[in-house]
Amino acid sequence: METVRPDKQTPIPSPEQEAHTVPAPASPWKEAFRQLRRNKLAVVGMFIISFFILIAVFAPLLTPHQVSTMNAADRLQGPSADYWFGTDDLGRDIFTRIVYGARISLMVGFFAVTGALIFGSMLGILAGYFGRWVDMLISRVFDIMLAFPSILLAIAIVAILGPSLQNALIAIAIINIPIFGRLVRSKVISIREEEYIMAAKAQGMKSGRILVHHVLPNSMAPIIVQATLGFGTAILEAAALGFLGLGAQPPTPEWGRMLSDARQYITSAPWTVLFPGLSIMLVVLGFNMIGDGLRDALDPKMKH
Amino acid sequence: MKKAWLLTSIAAGTLFVTACGGDNNEDAEADNNDVNTNDTEADNDNDNAEADDADDGNDEAGEAAEDQTLIFARGGDSVSLDYASVTDGESSRVTQQIYESLLFFDEDSFEIGPGLAEDWEMHDDGTRYTFQLREGVTFHDGTDFNADAVKLNFERWADPDHEFHFADEGYAYSVYGTQFGGFVGDDGHVIDEINVIDDYEVEFVLNSPLGSFLQNMGMSYFAMTSPAAFEEYGAEINENPVGTGPFEFVSWDRDDSIVLERYDDYWMEDGPHLESVIFQVIPDNSARLTALQSGEIDIMDGLNPDDIDVLEGEEGIQTWERATNNIGYLGFNEDKEPFDDPELRRALNHAIDKETLITTLYAGMAEPAKNLIPPDYLGYNDEIEAYEYDPDLAREMLEDAGYEDLEIDLWTMPVARPYMPDPERAAEVMQANLDEVGVTANIVSMEWATYLEQTEAGEHDLFMLGWSGVNGDPDYFFGNLLHSDAIPGGNRNFYRNEEVDGLLDEAKVSIDEGEREELYMEAQEIIHEDAPMIPLVHSIPVLAGSDRVEGYVPHPQTSEPLTNVRLTE
Repeated sequence: METVRPDKQTPIPSPEQEAHTVPAPASPWKEAFRQLRRNKLAVVGMFIISFFILIAVFAPLLTPHQVSTMNAADRLQGPSADYWFGTDDLGRDIFTRIVYGARISLMVGFFAVTGALIFGSMLGILAGYFGRWVDMLISRVFDIMLAFPSILLAIAIVAILGPSLQNALIAIAIINIPIFGRLVRSKVISIREEEYIMAAKAQGMKSGRILVHHVLPNSMAPIIVQATLGFGTAILEAAALGFLGLGAQPPTPEWGRMLSDARQYITSAPWTVLFPGLSIMLVVLGFNMIGDGLRDALDPKMKH
Repeated sequence: MKKAWLLTSIAAGTLFVTACGGDNNEDAEADNNDVNTNDTEADNDNDNAEADDADDGNDEAGEAAEDQTLIFARGGDSVSLDYASVTDGESSRVTQQIYESLLFFDEDSFEIGPGLAEDWEMHDDGTRYTFQLREGVTFHDGTDFNADAVKLNFERWADPDHEFHFADEGYAYSVYGTQFGGFVGDDGHVIDEINVIDDYEVEFVLNSPLGSFLQNMGMSYFAMTSPAAFEEYGAEINENPVGTGPFEFVSWDRDDSIVLERYDDYWMEDGPHLESVIFQVIPDNSARLTALQSGEIDIMDGLNPDDIDVLEGEEGIQTWERATNNIGYLGFNEDKEPFDDPELRRALNHAIDKETLITTLYAGMAEPAKNLIPPDYLGYNDEIEAYEYDPDLAREMLEDAGYEDLEIDLWTMPVARPYMPDPERAAEVMQANLDEVGVTANIVSMEWATYLEQTEAGEHDLFMLGWSGVNGDPDYFFGNLLHSDAIPGGNRNFYRNEEVDGLLDEAKVSIDEGEREELYMEAQEIIHEDAPMIPLVHSIPVLAGSDRVEGYVPHPQTSEPLTNVRLTE
C-alpha cells in the first residue's frame, strides 16, 4: 500500500555513524538525515508514525473482532480483556475500528498531500519561472483560495461534490494546492536569479529542461518539509470533515466520524471519544514533529 | 492553527450553547429584578422597603415565574403553518397553539369533547351532523368565529375550484382526501353539503356514514383559519397563520425559531398562562440536551433514550413519557425495481434485527412492530406472525429469487422523530443487517423538508419514516400510509392493492365497531403477505424539561396545545 513510502524516511540507526567522524562532504540529503536523527523530537515523531503505519498494514492480524460487527448485548462496555478499547453505542469493538481507521487516515493524508503537491508545485513553478501575467493569474487564484478559511472551502467543495471519503480527499487536496503553490513559487523566484540558471540559459537550455533539472531539485527542501507538515494537516482536515458528516460515510471506521458519533456519550462512556481523539492527536503530532525536525535539518543556515 | 480546529469543533457546540444559556439566564434574571423593584416602589411608597422585599420573596417561592416565556426545543423546523396541507408532526406542534378544531381531544387520550363547538348531534344513522358553535370566539385578527367560517374552511379543502384551495401554489390536502374519502367530484367523497343554519349552528350532510367522522373533527388538520386572513394573505397563509387558539403568531425564522405570543382575547376562561412560546430548532440531540441542562430551553423533544439514565436524579430536570401511538418503519418504493417483487420484500423483512435496534437505539423504550397500527388500536391483528429475524433464511430467499450483489440506497431522516430518536444510527444498524444478507446499502440523508418531498415524489429505494396517530383511529394509519388514494402523499411505499383499498374503504364508512375491527384484521393479513414495508417499532417517546414547567401533559399524538402550561420559579 501507499504506506510503504513514508517508511523510507525511517532511518535505521547504524553503529558506524555513531562514531561521529565526518567524512568527505556527503550528499546534502545524507547530511540532512544525520541532522534529523540528532533531533530527539523528530525521532519520536518517526516512531509514532512508523507505529501507525505498521498497525495500518497489519490491521487484520492485530484485530480480535470484525470491524463492523455489532454486538448489541455488549454495547458501551468499558475497556476490558475482550474489548481493549471498549465498545461503542452499537456494540462494535473500538480497538478494531481505531486500527482500521489508521488505514483510512494515512491513506487520506498520503493522497491528499500527493495531489496537492503535484498540482501546487506545477502551478508554483509556472508562476515563479515565467512571471508576468502567468504569475499574476495563478497567484491571484491562490489569493482567492487562501482568502477562505481552508475548512470552509473544503466544506463548500464537499457540498458540491456530495459527502464521501473520496470527495473529502479531493477537497482537502484542493485546499492545500495554494499552500504548496506559493511556497514553490517564492522558491523558484529566488532560484531564477541564481547564476547557474543564467549559465544554463546562456548555453541555450530550454525552459522545460531548466525547470526539471535545476529549478525543481533546488526547491525540494521546503516542499518536503511542507509535505510532511501537510500530511498531519490533511489528516486533521479529513477528521474534521468526518466529524461534520461530510467525510467518510458509515460504516467506515473513520476517526473523526467515530468522534462525532460518540460525542453524546462523552460523560457516560468516555472511552468512545477518548481513543479516536487520542489517535488523531498522536498522528498529527507525529507528522508535525517530523516536519519540524526536517525543517531544521534541511535549512542550510541551521547547520552547526 | 489548524490543529485547533478539531478541538474547536468538538467544543464549539457545547461552549456555544452554554454561553448562550448563560446569557439568557442573566437577561431573564435582570428582567425579574427590574420588575420586582418597580413593583415594590409602585405598590408601597410609604412602607418599609425591606419588609416588602421579603414579602415578594415569599410570594414567588413555587409561584408563577415573572418571565412566562417557554422555549420548546425540537429537532426539525415546521414545513408549513398551514396545518391541512402538511402531515409532519413539527408543523402541527406549532399550529396546535394557533389553531383550534371544532372538537377537542381529552388531555391525554383520544376521547372527544367540546372545542370550538359546544355541542353536537348525529342524525339519520350517521349521515347528518349538527354542531352548536361557541359564541364570542374571535380569531386573532378580530374576525368573529361563526358557522360561515366553518363552512369556508371545509369547502376550501374539499373543493379544488375554491378560491382559497391554492392548488396552483402547491397546496394539497392529502389528509382531507384520505379522511373524508376524496374531494368534491370524487365518488367516495363523504361530505355532501355544509349548511349554515344560523350564525352559530352548522350542519354537515354526508353521502354515507363515516365511522371516524367525529374523531376527525378533533384532528389538528381540520382546524379553523380566519376567513379574513385568507382574503389578506392568500396563498401566503402558510407563513401568516391566523386562528382562534391560545397563542398568536409573531415571527418565523426558518430553520431557527417560531415565536408565538399569548392571545389576550382567548375564549377559554383559564386562558394561556404563558406570555410567549418559542419553538427553537436544535437539530443535534445532545446539543439540545446540553441546552436544557444549561437552562437555555424549557422543554425538549427527542431525548436520546440513553440519556434517560443520565438525567435520572439530575437536579431541576423532569422527564415525560408520551403514550406509544406510532410506528417507525422501513418502507420500499414499489414503483422501482427490484422492490416491486414481494419475495424480495419478504426476504428483507427477515433481515432486519428489530431487537438489536431496540436495545441499541431505544434503550428498551419501544416494542417490535409486526403491524402498521399500534397494539391498543381497534382492529389490531395479533394473530399475524411476525417475520422472524433470520439472516440465513433471508439470504436463502434472496438467492432463490435470483438476487445477487444487490446494491441499494437506504434513505434516512436527518432529524430525530418520536418514533426514531436517532435515525442515522438506526440506518447504520440496518446497513449492517442488510450487509449480513449480502445487500450493500448506501446511507442517503438530506434536509427534512426535502426528504419528505423527494420520498413523496418516489425518488427513493428503501426509506425510513414513521407515523404518529392524531385521532386514535386505525384509518388514519391505513388510509394515509397504504391506501392507493394516498399516492402521492403519505403512501410513500407506492403500495397499490385493490383488495386492501376495498377493505379500508369499507371499514372507513362503517359505524359498527365490530365490523370495522374485522375488516382491518383482514386487511392486515393481506398487507403482511404483501410486505410493502418492514414495520420496525412502536416507541415510547420521551421528553425532558426543566422542573419549572408545570401543567405539561404529553398527548398521545405528537404534540399538544400548551394552554395549561405555566412556568414557576
